[in-house]
Amino acid sequence: MSDASAILTCTDLAIGHGSRVIMDRLNLALPAGKILAIVGPSGCGKSTLMRALGGLDEPLGGKTTLMGVDLNAARGTQRQDILRRMGFLFQGSALFSSLTLRENIEMPMREFLKAPRKEIRQLAEYKLALVGLADAMDKLPSEISGGMAKRAGIARAMALDPAVIFLDEPSAGLDPVSSGRLDELILRLREAFGTTVVLVSHEIPSILRTADFCVYLDPDTGTMGAYGPPKTFLQAGQSPKVHAFFTQARFD
Amino acid sequence: MSHAPTGSPFARTEVLADGCAVVTVGGSWKLDDTLPAIVVKGDRVRVVADDLSDFDSSLPAWLYANFRNVRQLDLSALPPRLQSLVQMAEKATFTDTHAHDTGFLEQFGTWGVESSSSWGRAFEHIGHTAVGFLRMVVGRAKVNWSDFTLQLQTAGVDALPIVALLGFLTGLIMAYVGLIQLRQVGATVYVANLVSLAMTREMGALMTGVIACGRTSTAYASQLGSMNVSQETDALRALGINPVEYLAVPRILAVTLMVPLLAVFATFIGVLGGMIVACAGDLSIEQYLTQAIRAISFKSFLVGFLKSIAFGFIAAWAGCYRGSVAKRSALGVGEAATSAAVLGITFIVISDALFAVIFNLFNL
Repeated sequence: MSDASAILTCTDLAIGHGSRVIMDRLNLALPAGKILAIVGPSGCGKSTLMRALGGLDEPLGGKTTLMGVDLNAARGTQRQDILRRMGFLFQGSALFSSLTLRENIEMPMREFLKAPRKEIRQLAEYKLALVGLADAMDKLPSEISGGMAKRAGIARAMALDPAVIFLDEPSAGLDPVSSGRLDELILRLREAFGTTVVLVSHEIPSILRTADFCVYLDPDTGTMGAYGPPKTFLQAGQSPKVHAFFTQARFD
Repeated sequence: MSHAPTGSPFARTEVLADGCAVVTVGGSWKLDDTLPAIVVKGDRVRVVADDLSDFDSSLPAWLYANFRNVRQLDLSALPPRLQSLVQMAEKATFTDTHAHDTGFLEQFGTWGVESSSSWGRAFEHIGHTAVGFLRMVVGRAKVNWSDFTLQLQTAGVDALPIVALLGFLTGLIMAYVGLIQLRQVGATVYVANLVSLAMTREMGALMTGVIACGRTSTAYASQLGSMNVSQETDALRALGINPVEYLAVPRILAVTLMVPLLAVFATFIGVLGGMIVACAGDLSIEQYLTQAIRAISFKSFLVGFLKSIAFGFIAAWAGCYRGSVAKRSALGVGEAATSAAVLGITFIVISDALFAVIFNLFNL
């Protein structure tokens, strides 16, 4: 994998809370259209890394680029343009509770697109239909289930046809059937739109189904414990810690 | 439909001899572009691409919006990726949505059922509160006493400045209006009677009750509503602790104790406010105070005091009740705060009217 083909990179990245570094020496280069899963024990900094990769938090050191643009150096219109090319699904879905699902999807479109109101409505309806919520467009987030909220969150993340979407524990709290459907949805959306996906997950079966690459964050060393296709993490030659994490989580 | 300029998205329709409409799409389709309008009649449509240079989700969204209800839609001539984007939206069905259109009658019925159940929940909460107080008296309730002392401070002492300001202005306004009217009959000395009696029997308690609703009820509704959102009340239940006893009882007790004291304070400040206007007019301080003290009887004080106890209870209960039934969202917490203030003030005014009737019956 060469850096030239990468849509998302990080070089010597250091992340943490406040001034406390929890992970450093992180180096990644993710090709466009691929799915990257970030895994590791609870509290190791998976979500923090995702937020740093997406430009939501400033890293404590190093550099992250999206489509060749340094996220932390970008300012003004350039930063706004690059943020527009990203979509986020937060752990709790983070839907705006006072807006219906359709209005939630329309909101970023109204802010960023110059298209007429009717077309924005069409787009929002289409995006909701893509995630199977065509019949729930006028519901409020409080009136839908957790699985539906996750799908609505994905529809909002996909609102502006982003180049990269970041999914923070998309299948957390879902039953295995809903989790499986969500995996299928992520794969279908990736295939149809060519979107690059970065996801944080604890669900090893889900990661094995969806991810092209996987990064294991090792809290003991404070850096990446392994990086590569997730199936290789199951092989005996892998680091014992990573192998144990994958196999135990898989069969527990 | 005419061809659009090169590069812009376009769509044209042609109806074949067999009745099938052929829609040709082309150009570059981007989210920011204004998309072509199209009218297609008939239930057989074939969509083809001509000079389709580039597209994002605006094109599948446009196709989905315009043709999703067409009985026979043929997309086979479109690029495979575009076909799959439209078919994904059409085929994506999940079994957990049960949306259906509701008619006016059903909506009215639903409103009726929800309203009656809302009243039912309100009475249920009053019952739980009463039981909670009884259990507290016999020492069996788990009450958060640290909350109680905190609420004495926040609902009582911290409210002194606003109570003083509004009490002072209320007395001042009443004295001003009274002075103008009484001057016409040469009885300005009775301004002191008017202000002191009105403040003692009515306005002191009422104003303090309304302030408690605006200040304390809304705060309680927000606090308890937020605890609902974060499932803290569920956690209490899971621990075998009754949330009404633990959260509502100390708050209601604190406010029910503090509002009468605040009402007495408001009355005193209101009488002083009236004195400033009266003394700026025709009365001396001594005249005003003598007349005011003479006008206030123990019965009048008792009437105002009893009312303020009730108003304090209502204000605190309204906040705790609306907070406990708040929907689990930011919107729900906001609604709870608003409805707590509305409910509290409405109940205070209604109970004030009832008190007037009851005290009249007992010659108080």
